[in-house]
Amino acid sequence: MILNSIDMSQLLSLLTFNREEPMLFTSGLFWVLFLLFLPVYAMLKSRRKQMMIFVIAFSLYFFYKSSGLFFLLLVATSVFDWWVAQFIESSKNRTERRIALTVSLVFSLGILLFFKYGNFVMFNLEALIGGNFQPMDLILPVGISFYTFRTISYVVDVYRGKIQPVDDYLDHLFFLSYFPCLVAGPIVRSCDFNPQVQQNKPATREMIYGGLWLVMLGILKKAVFADYIAQYNNIAFGNPSGYTGFELLMAVLGFTMQIYCDFSGYSDMAIGLSSIMGFNLGINFNYPYRSLNVTEFWHRWHITLSTWLRDYVYIPMGGNRRGKVRQHINLMVTMLLGGLWHGAAWTFVVWGAGHGIALCVHKLCKPWLDTIESTRATRFVSWLLTFSFVAFLWIFFRANTFQAAGQVISGIFTDFEWAYLPVFIARRSTWCIMLAIIFGLHFVPVTVWDKLRDRFIAAHWAVKLVIFIFLIQLVLQFASATVQPFLYSQF
Amino acid sequence: MNKPYWGLWTLLLAALVFFVFLSFWQDGFSVGGLEIKTALFASDMGAQMKKRRVVDADTLDADGRLPDGHHPKGWRAPVDTTAKNILFIGDSMLEGLAPRLAAYCDKNGHTLVEVIWYSSSTLCWGQSGRLTELINKYHPNYIFVCLGANELYVPDIKRARRPHLKKMLAEIGNIPYVWIGPPNWDKDTGINDMLEQEVDEGCFYLSANDHFDRSRDGAHPTRSSAHQWMDRVVKWLGSEGAYPIRLENPGEGIGRASHIVVYQPPV
Repeated sequence: MILNSIDMSQLLSLLTFNREEPMLFTSGLFWVLFLLFLPVYAMLKSRRKQMMIFVIAFSLYFFYKSSGLFFLLLVATSVFDWWVAQFIESSKNRTERRIALTVSLVFSLGILLFFKYGNFVMFNLEALIGGNFQPMDLILPVGISFYTFRTISYVVDVYRGKIQPVDDYLDHLFFLSYFPCLVAGPIVRSCDFNPQVQQNKPATREMIYGGLWLVMLGILKKAVFADYIAQYNNIAFGNPSGYTGFELLMAVLGFTMQIYCDFSGYSDMAIGLSSIMGFNLGINFNYPYRSLNVTEFWHRWHITLSTWLRDYVYIPMGGNRRGKVRQHINLMVTMLLGGLWHGAAWTFVVWGAGHGIALCVHKLCKPWLDTIESTRATRFVSWLLTFSFVAFLWIFFRANTFQAAGQVISGIFTDFEWAYLPVFIARRSTWCIMLAIIFGLHFVPVTVWDKLRDRFIAAHWAVKLVIFIFLIQLVLQFASATVQPFLYSQF
Repeated sequence: MNKPYWGLWTLLLAALVFFVFLSFWQDGFSVGGLEIKTALFASDMGAQMKKRRVVDADTLDADGRLPDGHHPKGWRAPVDTTAKNILFIGDSMLEGLAPRLAAYCDKNGHTLVEVIWYSSSTLCWGQSGRLTELINKYHPNYIFVCLGANELYVPDIKRARRPHLKKMLAEIGNIPYVWIGPPNWDKDTGINDMLEQEVDEGCFYLSANDHFDRSRDGAHPTRSSAHQWMDRVVKWLGSEGAYPIRLENPGEGIGRASHIVVYQPPV
């Protein structure tokens, strides 16, 4: 009766590609599908080949639901790069190998450049040489930047002789399409991932419930904290001229916490889901706002991206092996590219440039900084400077235009009054409490988190269920009806 | 399936069953004063069933309305050339819009009552019952509404504000009306989608895609930009609106409503 009453076309539209509603780990649909996925996966887990085919099918559907037929791009990339890697391995001719690598890079980066930077390049060309350019109606396939970087690392590592290419094409497609890290990373490397797939060890109780613990932390960060505090940040950054300096400063602090919760939350969910499936993806964020300098920040923030940029951009350009001047140039180029990777806009380039300059300055000053005695006071000053600088640069990351960024900065420096503090706290008390909680949780010792995780794993099933239900209810209490794409899905 | 996987699967399933069960309380419920929100499973299913029933029953009543009370897509009343008692309610956007509409009213023999409730939203109008009071007091036979600018960033807007919007529409009843959407200065979280879905066919003017010159606060259109905005609404009403009335162009300039009511921002 109920089935008869439900419009099947509505059900079909729910399960087919919808540009406005990409499937994210925080969507109800994903969890309903995961509920169907899990028992089949558990039954096939010990049969490697069948398990891989099943996961690939689920992953490609996951990608299709978010990006439509563009999932075929991923399939095409995987076929091509698998073949190129085989060719590089079999060829003894250095020139041939080099040409194959170049063709692979042009293919992968060409697709990325077209979809992500096509309109950006055309707009800038138009500004330089004139013309009447009509923007192309392009859909940016979700997560294209992430899988492109993964496939590049695979081919380059084969070229460098660091890894052997996988013989079976399914292994490569499994690696590239693996749904937990398909949409927003982490940018896992083939050398770390494929050996686990080859061994295909059964997932232990610790991995499964430790994974659930991570997923829950991720949901808390993304769907409760990030989405809630984003509301005020959106208002203030959407119309900075309508807000006072104090309110704008709060929005900057809010965005600083929002982007951490948003991105690290999604990473936690990806790593947790993978852990449930029995594969370890490592860590991607390591309490970045504890950093005492910018170099340390980049060792803690989006670790898989920063190490990727180090290994495939900075070091190939010469790294620190060609003198100080060249090292600083290499650093700047790497960070500029890192900025551009985050989005096709000059504001992202400025954000990257800011970090590049800070890294160069820190490297220049390091001999002098090392002579300063490490005391509680100096560590606090270092932390405050680093945190303030990182938060300042997030303005360019968040603002839609330089004009908006300028309004935020000038508002903070020319229209700032502490008198707004009590009013702000009174009007936006929940927001302030949330911000304080996120900030406070950042400084909880790692050992405490580990103990909590272990207790959760050891807890009775019913206790786990109650905690899980409590968390989901918390999400419902703070939920946004309109899906808020997590920030990094656009990168 | 090994034991931990079985445990995890049953845990997720139990949680899903729990939230599906609770979702039958579509408007949530209260426990010790705390409002508990519920998931959308049941309401989504109910909406689909309702949608199907509406599509199945396509017979029109004498007023040309479908069984759900709405007019079918593309329906338009003939232009009403009689003089109207117009009630114009909304938020601070009326400061710019109403004087221009007053000029149209002066030119075309309509009377205008303007009610500005600063910082108001569908929430406060829907909860207050003020619209019914105004209708009973001024007996309008045409209503303009401009609301939504204070709701651009409301989270969970369809759940939070739809009941209040529906209440307002119920208060308007069968009085012909036009709802002018907010002049977005940034992407909204769903207010315009919700208005498009709920407001009758041909009664909603989407302002979000229009160009506006903004005043210093970055949100309100300048006076001249607001006048152009009202001109666009009038033009749209004549060509696409469900209830067109006589609104010949008064030329440049503004007018003054016959009665202006101002309410302070809601606490």
